[in-house]
Amino acid sequence: MHAPALIACLLLIQLLVAEGSVEPPERRPHAQAEARQESREPRRQQVQFDASRFDSLTATALRSILDRAAAQGLPTAPLINRALEGAARRASGPKILAVVRVHAAALAEAREALGDRSTSQELDAGATAIGAGIDPGVLAAIRETRGPGQAITPLVVMTDLVRRGVPSLTARDAVTSIAIMPTSDEALLGLQLTVAKNAQRGPGMALDALNRYVRLTVPGARPPSTPATLDRKPVRPPPS
Amino acid sequence: MTDRESSLPSATSNDDPALAAELAALYARMPAAEPAQIARCTSAVLSAALPAPGAARPIGGLRFRWWWGAAAAALLIAVVTRPWRPDQAQQEADSAFVAAAAALEPRGLTVEERNGSVTRFDLTLPASTKAVSLVGDFNGWDEAATPMVRRASDGAWSTRVPLPPGRHVYAFVVDGQRWLVDPLAPQVPDAGFGPTNALIVGGTP
Repeated sequence: MHAPALIACLLLIQLLVAEGSVEPPERRPHAQAEARQESREPRRQQVQFDASRFDSLTATALRSILDRAAAQGLPTAPLINRALEGAARRASGPKILAVVRVHAAALAEAREALGDRSTSQELDAGATAIGAGIDPGVLAAIRETRGPGQAITPLVVMTDLVRRGVPSLTARDAVTSIAIMPTSDEALLGLQLTVAKNAQRGPGMALDALNRYVRLTVPGARPPSTPATLDRKPVRPPPS
Repeated sequence: MTDRESSLPSATSNDDPALAAELAALYARMPAAEPAQIARCTSAVLSAALPAPGAARPIGGLRFRWWWGAAAAALLIAVVTRPWRPDQAQQEADSAFVAAAAALEPRGLTVEERNGSVTRFDLTLPASTKAVSLVGDFNGWDEAATPMVRRASDGAWSTRVPLPPGRHVYAFVVDGQRWLVDPLAPQVPDAGFGPTNALIVGGTP
């Protein structure tokens, strides 16, 4: 046999062996988890892990994190999103890995609090809330007011309220008292906007706005907290 | 002949001697002024040059007028008797403060259009902005995927994105460098990269 033909045969064999050793994307654990999540949320776009957005070391480590999360039954789409956001912000590889690891741990904690029947988006919103410093017990209280798949808005509003300086327990009381009402998503988003506007004048004003909103929205409800500002002086908002 | 008769008080060597002698003779014939007359003249001159004792002194170049006091008294009465409404005063002060703060911040807006199948993102920024793009979990956080266009009517940057129902996380990239969030929209706290916004598109996710 001629040498070129021999080399070509060897290359062909090597290529076939290499293809067989690489696991197809759909067989990877996190891809299977995505498929399961996709069947639960059919209208949601599937998030693809684009390894070309990361350096090879980071991509390999991310795959490992995603596989572990999938093995635990956690959704991987929120983790991929976090990683892609980090890449878009030009964060370093170790920074991306640290953020994704923390979010994976928060997802597991959120599933403990919200229950196994929670959707991927609920778990993502819950993990974000935990990352904002909200106690998992508060998540469980929100779950008691809303069934599976219905807790996204309360969780998003809750996280935003706490971020704007409302104490966690006060925000929980406000959100849960509104969340049990019918068609309360609009009311919750209205609460968020009211608090956001008043938070520009200081945390105390945000708290007073929350009290007023709950008193006017929920018939017979007690304000979640005592008035925060007796002198009503505006306060310069904190630098963002 | 005495000195008073021979020369004038202000005579100089250049005066005409004949004219000076004539004037000196006239001066000598005038009766001497009496002390009482001198005293009256002095008093008249001083009273014209100086304010009379006990008269009002000018303040800052202006003389005090009686109606100044009347105006001050009226103003004092108006301030004291005016009804004090602290809520209204506070509201006005707060409104001015918020308006001033809002003028310095970006203003965003998200609107669901076409029965919720398309979501419009608006962002108002200073006129010096060159380019704005929308990034989020719906476009893989790709800055080039969803550029925003400046609207001619109001100068706001705008784009429309078809989004499935559910929660979406997004942010704005200004001039390819600066990441911004809508200050009034629900926010996702900074978990390492920086804050983002959260949006809930209606319908069952």
